[in-house]
Amino acid sequence: MVKVRSFIIALILVGIGIWAFIHFSPSEERKVRKQFGLLSGWASKAQGETPLIMAQKTRKIGTLFAENCGLEVPLYSISGNLTRDEIIGYAARGRLLFSELSLRFYDLTVSFPEEGIAKVSSTARLTGKLNVGENVDETHELQCVLKKIGKRWFFSHMEVVEVLKR
Amino acid sequence: MNGNKKIRKFFFPSLTPNFLIRALLVTLFTYLFFGHVCIPFHIQGSSMEPTYHNGGFNFCWRLHYLFSKPKRNEVVAIRFTGRHVMLLKRVVALEGEWVEFRDGKLLINGKELDEPYIRYPCNWNLSPRQVEVNCVYVVGDNRNMPVENHYFGQTSIRRIMGVPLW
Repeated sequence: MVKVRSFIIALILVGIGIWAFIHFSPSEERKVRKQFGLLSGWASKAQGETPLIMAQKTRKIGTLFAENCGLEVPLYSISGNLTRDEIIGYAARGRLLFSELSLRFYDLTVSFPEEGIAKVSSTARLTGKLNVGENVDETHELQCVLKKIGKRWFFSHMEVVEVLKR
Repeated sequence: MNGNKKIRKFFFPSLTPNFLIRALLVTLFTYLFFGHVCIPFHIQGSSMEPTYHNGGFNFCWRLHYLFSKPKRNEVVAIRFTGRHVMLLKRVVALEGEWVEFRDGKLLINGKELDEPYIRYPCNWNLSPRQVEVNCVYVVGDNRNMPVENHYFGQTSIRRIMGVPLW
């Protein structure tokens, strides 16, 4: 009886150990996922955001992208290669339209097809309120490619996948 | 006194191997059943009004299409990247069929489809288009909004997760 109990306790401890190792070790996948968390935080906007915070957040969004990033967002007629400054411009103009904005990513699937390249599929949900008072609630499937430059991962391609095609 | 003991035993059972095995099995079953077979979801949005209301709760039954393909008039849950965000829509046309909206009437292969679930007036117009192979055409029940604001179209059968339980 004592042996069985010790075995079960040992099994639980090993499980906790494995979980802690996976959870706290800074693997490449965790680093990639972190970039999405940062993008989500910096793209989101609380009501009454000051111009200073807005400028700060918009500049930070730019730091997540590579010098040149391919963007394919047919819904908003955005297509082609954009420089980091152009992305900052789009982000700033986009955020200005909203009084409140929340961008969240779900179901992230990360794969590494080759060294220094990460492919990520995710569901992006954008909710918020436009300055004109209209509520916005949009969900899209996003395919992203991130490149590792130095020790950091940068978005180098983003594409919105059409789930329902008219 | 005896009752107190029973209550205490119920809430704080002794950690016997049998109890731990039972708890493990219940946890495993719950995870598999509610995580993969019968997924709970919360309805957000009004695109399926009046059949499904904003704020409602339901379960996505995944085994429904284990041995069959989606049929016309069935309400289905469509996934994006994963199962955290899904679309709830009604199948109106199957592969190879032609879909068209003319003055709010839905035409399949040129014939008007009887849609008893539509309660609100609709004035949509959409030129005829053919549903691709291994796809179905889905639309929400609430067509009392501009056609541009309603998310509908054809989607791959692979994206269909299941049907709502009720």
